Amino acid sequence: MSYQIKKAAVLGAGVMGATIAAHLTNAGIECCLLDIVPFELTEADKKAGLTEKSPAWRNRFAANGLAGVTKSKPASFYSKKNASMIKIGNFEDNLKWLADVDWVIEVVVENLKIKQDLFAKVEKIVKPGCIVTTNTSGLPIKDITANFGKKLKEHFLGTHFFNPPRYMKLLEVIPGKETKKEVVEFMIKFCEEVLGKGVVVCKDVPNFIGNRIGVFDISNAITLMVQKGLKIEEVDAVIGKAVGRPGTAVFGTLDLVGLDTGYHVMKNLYAAVPDDESRDLFIPPGFMDKMMEKKWLGNKTKQGFYKKTKDAKGKKAKLVLDYSTLDYVAPTKPKFESVSAAKKASDLGIAESMKIVFGGKDKASDLIREYLCNNFIYAVNRIPEIADRVVEIDNAMKWGYNHALGPFETWDAVGVRNAVDVMKKLGKKVPKKIDDMLKAGCESFYAKKPDGLYYYDFAKKGYVKLEDNPRVILLPALKEQNKVVAENASASLIDIGDGVACLELHTKMNAVDDGVIEMINKSCDIVEKDFLGMVVGNHDPRAFSAGANIFKVLLAIQQGDWDVLEALVANFQNANMRMKYLSKPVVTAPAGLALGGGCEIAMHGARCQPCGETYMGLVEVGVGVIPAGGGCKEILVRVTEGLPDGVVEAGLNLQFHMAKAFENIGTAKVATSAMEAMELGYIRKTENISLNRDQQIWDAKQVVLGLSKFYKPPRPALIPVMGENFRGMANGVLYNMRHGNYASDYDVHVGRKVAYILSGGDCNEGTYVTEQEILDLEKEAFLSLCGEKRTQDRIMHMLSTGKPLRN
Amino acid sequence: MTDAVIVEAVRSPGGRYKRGGLAATRGDEIGFQVIKGLMARVPAVKPEDVDDLIVGCAFPEAEQGMNYGRVLAIGAGLPISVSGMTVNRFCSSGVQAIADATAKIRAGWSEVIIAGGCETMSHIPMGGSIFRPNPEWNFDGGQPNVYVSMGITAENVAVSYNVSREDMDKMGVESNRRAYEAIKAGKFKEEIIPIEAFKYKRDKNGKRIRDKVVFDTDDGVRWPVKLEDMAKLKSPFKAGGVITAANASQMTDGAAFSLLMTAEKAKELGLKPLARLAYYAVAGCKAEEMGMGPAFAIPKVLKMAGLTPKDIDVYEINEAFASQAIASCRLIGIEDRYWAGDINPNGGAIALGHPLGATGGKLTAQLLHELKRRKAKRGIVSMCIGGGMGAAAIYEML
Repeated sequence: MSYQIKKAAVLGAGVMGATIAAHLTNAGIECCLLDIVPFELTEADKKAGLTEKSPAWRNRFAANGLAGVTKSKPASFYSKKNASMIKIGNFEDNLKWLADVDWVIEVVVENLKIKQDLFAKVEKIVKPGCIVTTNTSGLPIKDITANFGKKLKEHFLGTHFFNPPRYMKLLEVIPGKETKKEVVEFMIKFCEEVLGKGVVVCKDVPNFIGNRIGVFDISNAITLMVQKGLKIEEVDAVIGKAVGRPGTAVFGTLDLVGLDTGYHVMKNLYAAVPDDESRDLFIPPGFMDKMMEKKWLGNKTKQGFYKKTKDAKGKKAKLVLDYSTLDYVAPTKPKFESVSAAKKASDLGIAESMKIVFGGKDKASDLIREYLCNNFIYAVNRIPEIADRVVEIDNAMKWGYNHALGPFETWDAVGVRNAVDVMKKLGKKVPKKIDDMLKAGCESFYAKKPDGLYYYDFAKKGYVKLEDNPRVILLPALKEQNKVVAENASASLIDIGDGVACLELHTKMNAVDDGVIEMINKSCDIVEKDFLGMVVGNHDPRAFSAGANIFKVLLAIQQGDWDVLEALVANFQNANMRMKYLSKPVVTAPAGLALGGGCEIAMHGARCQPCGETYMGLVEVGVGVIPAGGGCKEILVRVTEGLPDGVVEAGLNLQFHMAKAFENIGTAKVATSAMEAMELGYIRKTENISLNRDQQIWDAKQVVLGLSKFYKPPRPALIPVMGENFRGMANGVLYNMRHGNYASDYDVHVGRKVAYILSGGDCNEGTYVTEQEILDLEKEAFLSLCGEKRTQDRIMHMLSTGKPLRN
Repeated sequence: MTDAVIVEAVRSPGGRYKRGGLAATRGDEIGFQVIKGLMARVPAVKPEDVDDLIVGCAFPEAEQGMNYGRVLAIGAGLPISVSGMTVNRFCSSGVQAIADATAKIRAGWSEVIIAGGCETMSHIPMGGSIFRPNPEWNFDGGQPNVYVSMGITAENVAVSYNVSREDMDKMGVESNRRAYEAIKAGKFKEEIIPIEAFKYKRDKNGKRIRDKVVFDTDDGVRWPVKLEDMAKLKSPFKAGGVITAANASQMTDGAAFSLLMTAEKAKELGLKPLARLAYYAVAGCKAEEMGMGPAFAIPKVLKMAGLTPKDIDVYEINEAFASQAIASCRLIGIEDRYWAGDINPNGGAIALGHPLGATGGKLTAQLLHELKRRKAKRGIVSMCIGGGMGAAAIYEML
C-alpha cells in the first residue's frame, strides 16, 4: 500500500514532544499533542474553580507543553500562528483521536513499562496502515515491541529526533526486525523530503549511532583532560571551532544540553554495553558526581562548567569551574600556537585547519592527536556493531552533533596513514580493519572518482559507490563535470540538467558586487536563448547572500566616483528587473541569510522557493542607506498586489499596508524563517517552502520546469501610493520614535528618505506609479545618503566591526 | 437668564480594552442603553420633551460616525423630533457636551437636552483609523506637535516636572485601592446603568453565536496590586522611560449621559434638580506636555468663579497618566487633597479607565453622586486634552 502522512499525533508533551509537534506544523502537518492527566488537583486549582472534569485541568500537561514551545528560544515554530495546527488533549479522554491520524509518535518518559502500556492502548485505536514510532533514545525497539501484534510490528519503528528538532538535521530511523520494508522506505523519504531531516538508518543497538559515538567523544575529552591535567577552558579552546566543532566546544555544549542529561546518558550507556572495550570511559568522573549533587547542571541552573556572573563594576564576567577544587575561578586565556595557526588558515577549509592542529608541536596538538586517535579507533570498532558503513557514522556526527566532519572524514583530513603512525607512537592498538584497508591500497575512507563519491566498505574490503539521491543537486559536483555555462570571479551559471540553469553566487558571504550584477545579466541572456529557465541559489550554509558589498560602495564614495556609484545602483536595479520580467521563469531559492541586496535578488524572481531556515530582510538602514536595488519598490508591489480593482479609487485606506512596508525597512526587520518572511511580505504567501536544504535546488528546478510549460512574464506593476499623506504619517511615527529614544536624529533622517520613497514622491493619495518611478526615488535617496558623513561612518563601522553603528 | 440644571447623571460601567465586558459590543448599542436608562430614571420626562442630544466623542468615525448624536437619539428610541449632534474636544468631549447643553439652555434656545459622551476604544484606534498628519509641519523646528503620542507627552511631563516613578506607581496603587473599595461598598450602583452586552462564543455544536450578558461593574480594577510588581514594568513609549501600564489610564469602552433642563421645566415636572454646571473653561498649553492642561484650566475656571482651590469639596481630575495628574495637582498646590481623599475619591482612570470622549460625562456622574453622598456643595471635573489643552468644569449641588 502507499502511505501518506497528513495528520499526526504526538504522545508526550515534554520539551521534545512539543518541539517535535511544532516542527510537524512547520511542515504543514496538523497534529494532536497528548499527555497524561495530572495526578491531583492542587489547592490553587480548587481555588480557581477547577474540578477533575475540567478540560483545563485534564489537559494541563499538553497545554503547558504547547505554551512552552510557543515561547521557546530559538523559536520552534516557523510562525507562532502554526500553534493553531496543534490540538491538545490527554491520554484518558482523547486517545480516540488517534483513529484519525496517519502517524503516531511517542515521546513519553523513558520507561519501558509506561511505553508498553501506552502502545497497548494505541494498538487498539489506530487505523490500519497508521505508522507508529517511538522517539526513544535509549530503550531497545525490540523490547518496546515485544508484546505487539503483527500488524503494529510491521508499522512500527524508531524515529529519534535530536534537540531542537527544528534545527538539528539528524533523524535516526531504527527499523524493528518485523517492520515492513515499504514502511521504512516511506518514512525515510517522508522525513527527508517533508520534514527536511537528514535520515540515518540505525541498528537497534544502545544509543543508536549519534549518542553512542557522541557520548564517547565527550567522555574521551573529559578523560584526557583529567589524565593530562588540563583545564576546562583549555580543552574548550582546543576542541572547538579550529577543529570543526561548535563554538560552545565540549563543556559549553554540556552546559547547554544540561549536565544531568549527559551524566545519565553516560551511566545508561555504561550499563547497556558490557562488551564495549571503552566502557570504563562512560563512568562519570568524581567531580561530575559532585556537580550533580550540587545541581550545577549548566545553563538551566545558571552554573555548570561555566558560570556567568558580574564583576565588581557590574560588568558581565564568565567564570569557569576548577574541577579539582570545585571552585569557580576566572578563566585563563589559553593561547595555542597550533590553534591560532589553524584559525588563520580557516579560509582553506576545515580539513586544512585540522591538519595543522593535528600536526602541531604544542600541548594542544598533543591533546588533539590523542583525542582524535581515540575517536577514530572507537568509531572503527563500532563497525559493524552499530553501522555497516562509515557514511552513517559520519552523517550522524555532522547532523546530530554539529561536527564539521564526522570521525572518518576527520581521519581522511589528517591522513589515514599519518594517524595510524601517531596511534603507534601513542601505543594504541591499531584496529585490524585499518591495517587491512591500508594493505589493500585504500588510503582514505572516501574517494572521489569521475562518476561520483565512493566510500571504503569494510565488509567488501574495497570502495563502493555512494548512491546518489536524484533530489540532491550538488553544484560543486556539476562544476567538476564541466557543467559551468558561464562564470566570473563572483558567480557561475551552471547547467543543472533538463534545460534548467542555476546561477550561483560565490563571493564572500555571497555579497553582491559588479561581478554578480554582470553575471545576472549574462545569465539572463544565456537562459533566454538556451534554457527553459533559471534557479538562483547555492549551498552556502550561512547565506544566500548577506547583501551588497559595502566595501566597494565606500571605496566609490571615498574616491568621489558618483557616476560609478550611480551606475552600480542602476545596474543592480536593471539586473533585478531583468530577472523579474525575463521571458523564461526565474526561481530564486534563498536559504540562510538573504539580507539587503540578497533579499532584493530573492524578491525579483518569477517565483521564490525558500528554505524553511531563511533569514530575510531589508537591513540597509543599519549602514545609513536605503534598499536601492528594487527592495523598496518590490515591497510596495507586494503589499499592494492583490487589491481588487477599484478599491483604491473607492477610498481604500492604504495606511496599514504602507506602515508595514515602512516598519520592515525602517527598523531593518529580519524574518526568522521563510514563513515569517511571508508574513513580512518578502516572500509571497502562495509559495512553497523547502524544509530540506539539500533538496532545495532540485525543488526550485521543478518549479522552473513546471512554469516553463506555459510561462508568461508578469505584467508591469502599477503601484497605488499615498503620496505626501504617507510622509505626514511617517513624520508622526518618526517623531515618537525619536522622542521615545528608539531612534537617533540620523535614524529619523534616513527614515524620512525611506518614507519619501514609499510615499511615491510628490503626488496625491491614491495615485498609481510605475515601478521605474520608485526605482528612481530609491537611486536618488541612496546617492544622497552616500554623500552624508554619518552614512559613511556607519558603513566604515560595519566594515571594521561587523556591527551597525547608531549615530 | 434662565438656569440650566442637571436632574440626573448616569454612566455605563467601564469595560477594559479588547478583553473587557464591552469589547464585543458596538459603541452605539452601549449609548442607546445608557440613554434609555437615563430616561427611565426620570420617568416624569417624556421622550418628546427632549429637544436635543449632544454626544462627545474623540474619534467620531466608523460605528461612532455619521453624526453619532443623531444616531444615538434615534437608536435610543427618542422621537424623530429630537435632534442630535456630536462634539469633539478629545478627552473633554463629554463635559464639553454638558457645557454646550448648559449654555444652550441658559441662552433659552433649548428646554431639555441629553448630553454626555460615548466611546468604544476597543473598536476605534487612538488617532483614528485614518491618520493623516500634515506632512509640511516641522515639529522639531518649533511647530507644536498636535499629533504627538500621548505616551510621549506623559514621559515629557515626568521629566519637565520632575515626577518620580515611585510617586506615579504609588498613585497607581492608590487609584486601584480606592476603586476596589468603592465597588465593594456598592458606591457606583447609583450611577451605573447595567448594559446588556454582546458576547461572541461557540454553541455546543461549535457554531459561532452571539450571546448576551449583563455587564454592571467596572472591570479594569486590579486589586490587590503591589508596588514592587508595578516597579518591574517597562515603558512602552520610551526606551528607559517611566510611564507604564500601571501608572497610566486604561483604554476603555463606555458611555455616560446627563439630563439637563431649564430650572422652570424641572419645577414644572416636579423634579428636584441635582446640580448645575456653574462655570466651564478650556485652556491651551504645550502640545508636547498636554498632560499639564488641568494646571491651566482649573485656575482659569476658579478665577472665573471667584473661588480658590479650597472652596472645592471634591475634584475628579482625570488620571490620563499619573505623571500629569501629580504634576498638575502640584502646580495648583492641591496634591495633599489627593491623599486626603478629596481628589478622585473613588479611584481614577488608572483603575476605572478613560473612555476618551465619554470620560467627561463619566466623571460628571461620579462627581455628582459623590457630592450627594458627602452632602457637599462644589466639585470640579477636569482633564488634560490631546493637542495641548485642559478643561475644567465647576459643578454646584442644588
